[in-house]
Amino acid sequence: MEKFKVTFCPDNKTIEVDSGKTILSASLSAGVYVNSSCGGDGVCGRCKVRVKKGQVVTQPSGRVSLEERKQGIYLACLTTIQSDLEVEILPESRLDLDKLTPQDLDLRLKGFYSEAEEIESPSSILGDEIFAHSPLATKLYLELPPPDLEDKISDLERLYRQIRRIQDIPIMQTGLANIRRLGALLRSADWKVTVTLGKRNGTTEVVFIEPGDTSHKNFGLCFDIGTTTISGQLVDLNTKKVMGTRATYNKQVTFGSDIITRIIFAQEQDGLERLHHAVIDGMNKMLQDLIQKQAIDLNDVNCVVCAGNTTMMHLLLRIDPTYLRREPYVPAVNFVPTIRAAEAGVKVNPRGLLFCSPGISSYVGGDITAGVLSCGLDKEEGLAILIDIGTNGEIVLGNKDFLISASASAGPAFEGSGVTCGMRASSGAIQKVEISPVDFKVAYETIGGVRPRGICGSGYIDIIAQMLGAGLLDKNGKIKIKDHKRIRDNEYGREFVVAFKEECDSTVDIVISEADIENIKRSKAAIYAAASELLRHMSLEFADVKKVFVAGGFGTYINIDNAKRIGLLPDLENSRFIFVGNSSLAGARSILLSYEAMKKANDIARKITYFELSVEPGYMDEYMAALFFPHTDLSKFPSIKL
Amino acid sequence: MLEKWTGEVSVINIGATKEEGGSRRQVIKVGGQATLPFLSGEGVLANKPVVAFEVWDIAPSDWPAGLAKAYADVFSDPLAWAEKCVKEYKAGLICLRLQGAHPEFGNKTPDEEAKLVGELLKKVDVPLIILGCGDDAKDNLVLPVCCQAAKNERCLVGSAAQDNYKTLSVAVLADGHNIIAESPIDINIAKQLNILISDMGLALDHIVINPTIGALGYGLEYAYSIMERARLAALAGDKTVACPFICFVGQESWRAKEAKASEQEFPCWGPESERGVIWEAVTATALIQAGADILVMRHPQAIEKVNKYIDELMKG
Repeated sequence: MEKFKVTFCPDNKTIEVDSGKTILSASLSAGVYVNSSCGGDGVCGRCKVRVKKGQVVTQPSGRVSLEERKQGIYLACLTTIQSDLEVEILPESRLDLDKLTPQDLDLRLKGFYSEAEEIESPSSILGDEIFAHSPLATKLYLELPPPDLEDKISDLERLYRQIRRIQDIPIMQTGLANIRRLGALLRSADWKVTVTLGKRNGTTEVVFIEPGDTSHKNFGLCFDIGTTTISGQLVDLNTKKVMGTRATYNKQVTFGSDIITRIIFAQEQDGLERLHHAVIDGMNKMLQDLIQKQAIDLNDVNCVVCAGNTTMMHLLLRIDPTYLRREPYVPAVNFVPTIRAAEAGVKVNPRGLLFCSPGISSYVGGDITAGVLSCGLDKEEGLAILIDIGTNGEIVLGNKDFLISASASAGPAFEGSGVTCGMRASSGAIQKVEISPVDFKVAYETIGGVRPRGICGSGYIDIIAQMLGAGLLDKNGKIKIKDHKRIRDNEYGREFVVAFKEECDSTVDIVISEADIENIKRSKAAIYAAASELLRHMSLEFADVKKVFVAGGFGTYINIDNAKRIGLLPDLENSRFIFVGNSSLAGARSILLSYEAMKKANDIARKITYFELSVEPGYMDEYMAALFFPHTDLSKFPSIKL
Repeated sequence: MLEKWTGEVSVINIGATKEEGGSRRQVIKVGGQATLPFLSGEGVLANKPVVAFEVWDIAPSDWPAGLAKAYADVFSDPLAWAEKCVKEYKAGLICLRLQGAHPEFGNKTPDEEAKLVGELLKKVDVPLIILGCGDDAKDNLVLPVCCQAAKNERCLVGSAAQDNYKTLSVAVLADGHNIIAESPIDINIAKQLNILISDMGLALDHIVINPTIGALGYGLEYAYSIMERARLAALAGDKTVACPFICFVGQESWRAKEAKASEQEFPCWGPESERGVIWEAVTATALIQAGADILVMRHPQAIEKVNKYIDELMKG
């Protein structure tokens, strides 16, 4: 077979490949990083390269504009090598953030490889006061009486004795490493030390002993590890104060946007390792940013709580997820014992502890347990439902007597991924929109009140609802109007301009395309159908539901009327809806701050039963019926004016 | 136990007489059932199922010999073909398929097709169904002018589909016809399409559902269950699916291997001349039981059998 030399710049790396290989595959062999969110399907348009010299054959793609094509820009995944080549990786297709100019960085921030960003957490109604303040890691400052001939008990027992004078802790343990240092440490610190106590699998561990009084420096982290988005919070464990909240896209997206693809990828050589590193790197980068901003020492971060779906937890802990997708779908572990964070690769205090919110089944994970915990669904008198709008749309139905969950593959659209101008709910995201039915004028509000950079989930909900209301869309989600300055046709279909580039912090117009609308339609249909099928399974209906907790990382608010208008949420009175934001993160924080909450989470996980939608023949039918705005059965949405 | 239904299927009038501004000798009414097929004890069966003879604007190239033989003398003359159906086989309804407009099958111009529609309406006085060639872009050019050419004749024109319904809806609405709404054996899409079309201003009682069918042995039971579900929903009061059904029986049956394979190939199957007819007739009768209102068929002998069957059923 003929071989060609491909040189990548600016890395200046050359590799010899067989003819007919794609540029993307050559770049992988050369170890040159090119973004590829869709895994080489030609869908995401994130692997743009410029061919500077040589012959290629490419497939047409709507992701490359005519203007770009003239400049020799191609999608690396759709372009095969026909001769020796010189290829430039475009800034937005590269990974190394540090080398980017501010302009390039700005471009990138819209993509998957954005740095962890400060996100606006919605003013949650969820109190942390529900559970007694008893953080998973506590610090005690001790002034030990030095030993003398009268009081000759050992150093460790002396330490235990002093602790027990303050707290009633019958069983304590500590590691050999601490004991080895203990003698010298106590004496050099003049018997004044701070011990970090961690709750560990029913006992209390002396995690760490340090000289002097550092008891006021006791921090913890909680994470919600989603398929698409990772959110994290730094919390002062003494004061319960949240010091910062950040979110980033889960870099595992590179290996497939859905869970199943990632499980399959994990079986490939080094696959599990790479998936594990992708999530750990994301978390470490984020926690680094969080502590730097607050000028906190890593050694003072003593515990981490993670909530995530079962696959994410397996990958976080580098446990082979293969059997999750094989009948009978059994996870390696639901109740993960407390381990050292360092064992998983999380870079906090090396002796710090890692807790995982307990999972329920292969497809309902600890994020849902945490969600139920945070909104108190398990204590409700009347029937309540938790609808988590994420890549996996998770639903929990129940009250104090029972809890049943279901999970539906909704896709990442509401998290701002897989849609043309989607972004997370961070600064510059269009989150509220009104469209005039008269002249289609768009009034919007962005997070932080700055110039818009993209659209987050709540923005998409508003835009589609408003477009329907303004007569711009048919109920199938196709744009009806042709002649208007905001509407134009391109290779990818028709699109509507939400914000022109002149008003944006962006080099292109912010648009919503028919393909985006189709994407959102599928997501909302999966979620609505899952909820309605779960209710049907229990011989209940939406009207019986007294409280609807709406969770998800799609924004800082949700316009309930608009969410009903597009058929995402059921047509109930607005007073029954409670927006809880990222309930998984809130639950993880509750656990971090209270051992009671941790125990409660275990109870909840044991209590929730799981209803498998995929084997339920009615689900597909419900889903198909929900693929309409608001729904094929319009009688389910009586309050929507058509 | 007798079932009490709250809904009923809407009545569609195909064809307009002189008094109504058209030139048809009679109006064909379909739909109006207030019960499941032929359970006359539970509700009214307002109108009986009807059979339409399929006529093409070009000589079909893929009709098996046994079928083509029935129209050998008129095969390339659509006007004579339609006339033969009406005069010789007593057709009460003609379904004209404008296959020749397809870019790959003759690429006739919209004007040619419109002219043909005009002439056909002069040649025969039975109500008319007009079908496009199946190429969306071309149909959007051809069907509007054909609608215009047949203005006031209240034809049934098809087909609208979920991703291509606007142009035809507007044309049908403007010229006073009825529309065929085609969905791929999917009750939800059938319903969605009806809603989309009625959102364009064309009332639900001008829509006939083409649920898409399979011939005997080729998914017939699937089509059957979809039609049954839609009808149950209609009778339960869901107006958005309470439309009559049109089933393209001839098109599907004559594609079946069992209908066209020769006796030499399969000696134990018997003569193909009988087999094809039976295949088409059996497919049609099963669909009648599922609730079909209009059956578009091809072989005159099959049609004769089916008409007899309908008459027997309607005796109650």
